[in-house]
Amino acid sequence: MSLQFNATGDFSRLVSPLTPEIKAPVNASFDTHGTTVIAVKYRDGVLNVADRRATAGMSIMYDKSEKILPLDDHTLVSISGSFAKAIEIARYLRHSFKYYTRSQLQPMSLEGKLAEMTKALVQNIPMALQGIGTFVPVLSAWDEQAGEGKIYFFDPMGARFESSDFGAAGSGSAPIRGSFDYITRTKGPFAEMDLQTALRECLILLDIAADNDAATGGYAKIAPSAKAVTKDGILNLNEGELQRVLDEMQTGNTPQSLNVRAERVEADAPSN
Amino acid sequence: MYSPYDFNQSIAHRAEYVEERLKSGMPVVAIAYDEGVLLLTLKKTQRKVFEIYDQLMYCALGNQADVEAVRLASIDFCHAEGFSRSPDDVSIQRLVGFTLSPPLKRAFGDPMTSPNVLRAIFAEIGKKPENDQFFVLNYDGEFSTHSNFAVAGGTEGAEDSMSELLKGFTSTPDLSNAIARAKDAIRAGLAYRKGSDDEDDDDRSNDGNDPLTEALENATFEAAILERNTPRESKFRLLKSEELN
Repeated sequence: MSLQFNATGDFSRLVSPLTPEIKAPVNASFDTHGTTVIAVKYRDGVLNVADRRATAGMSIMYDKSEKILPLDDHTLVSISGSFAKAIEIARYLRHSFKYYTRSQLQPMSLEGKLAEMTKALVQNIPMALQGIGTFVPVLSAWDEQAGEGKIYFFDPMGARFESSDFGAAGSGSAPIRGSFDYITRTKGPFAEMDLQTALRECLILLDIAADNDAATGGYAKIAPSAKAVTKDGILNLNEGELQRVLDEMQTGNTPQSLNVRAERVEADAPSN
Repeated sequence: MYSPYDFNQSIAHRAEYVEERLKSGMPVVAIAYDEGVLLLTLKKTQRKVFEIYDQLMYCALGNQADVEAVRLASIDFCHAEGFSRSPDDVSIQRLVGFTLSPPLKRAFGDPMTSPNVLRAIFAEIGKKPENDQFFVLNYDGEFSTHSNFAVAGGTEGAEDSMSELLKGFTSTPDLSNAIARAKDAIRAGLAYRKGSDDEDDDDRSNDGNDPLTEALENATFEAAILERNTPRESKFRLLKSEELN
């Protein structure tokens, strides 16, 4: 026997995400729960804002969960639904993109990354059908070829939709759906806003979502997380400074310009 | 009947076949410097220094297909392990010692396969400088471990002259010093090759030309580093040509 290797760059031929086989009563509803994640295209890329509450039924499990996950230097995924499953898939995709880049000596195309996400969702259908483990991602990417940010949302079956301006997922997204349109009609499209202006609108939207949805965490104790994907990589909006702005917003006074520092995050695309 | 004599003969023939093909291979040098580890070689056309995993890189001389097979098998192992357990469980010892060496040995001993033609250096950067390690892997599965520096060349003689030169340096270099030392070691390896090539041909051996300058007529330097103090998980970076000259 000589050395065995996989020449395709397809990570799923080596490993697959943890998928327990559970024979539970079938509950074929695709209700997602417990979150609000928002993605909007602003002038220099795509901004994602998410609350940090993880729930299980009526319990708040954790108020500091991170739902905006960098997959590489030009891709962010915001997750709603089953936290365990979503984190596992994000970990799988990060490794899968790295594996492809290193073995094939070229980065995976954006279409390729979207197909990987669809594959992960399709593999998850049995768990979703059993009423557990459904997760719904919103994927934001900087499209090098088009030179612009892109937003894609998915359904639990793996269907992919491209959104032209904004996307949202989670139980808190329904109450604010119309507000996106209200903002674009009254204040102009998000795509013309700078980062701070877009952030301001998103924080207000998230606040409204938290007011209307018990499973979406408010601002009182923990600041939501905010990240952006741009031509130059992933930016993280400083948590301390977000908290300062939010404290001010709690008094009913939303500042016009937020001035929240955006720091570059190393999201680790291999440098081949 | 296949006798022990035939086995020895067959192994010797295979080794001879491989050594003959490795003889003209470009030398590879690995050096630990204050903030990382460096791999440097000469390439003609194909890329030769590769990232294997967050903290691992690789460079080999030999047949392109065999170099690729070992590279891909290494990447497979590291990523499967890094995902199933954790990146901290991926180590150069596990990769070279258990994943690569035994199948290479089996392939070398199997008279029905074509032998792998390859000699490789693997480099791993540790969290602390004392944990930086190099493994040199041979076509027959033999491997050796090194700290501070490691060399791989077409012949034992070339490797010896490279090692001799590098042993002379005792201080830990910075990156630019490490590059200079690596180039000197490459020159020493090439000089040995030139000397032995010209045994029957006295015209060239004492022509006084620098063997490295001669080699650079149809080859270029290729080098990569693993950087300890980068915030990235992926420590690998290919050096740009302006950093090498």
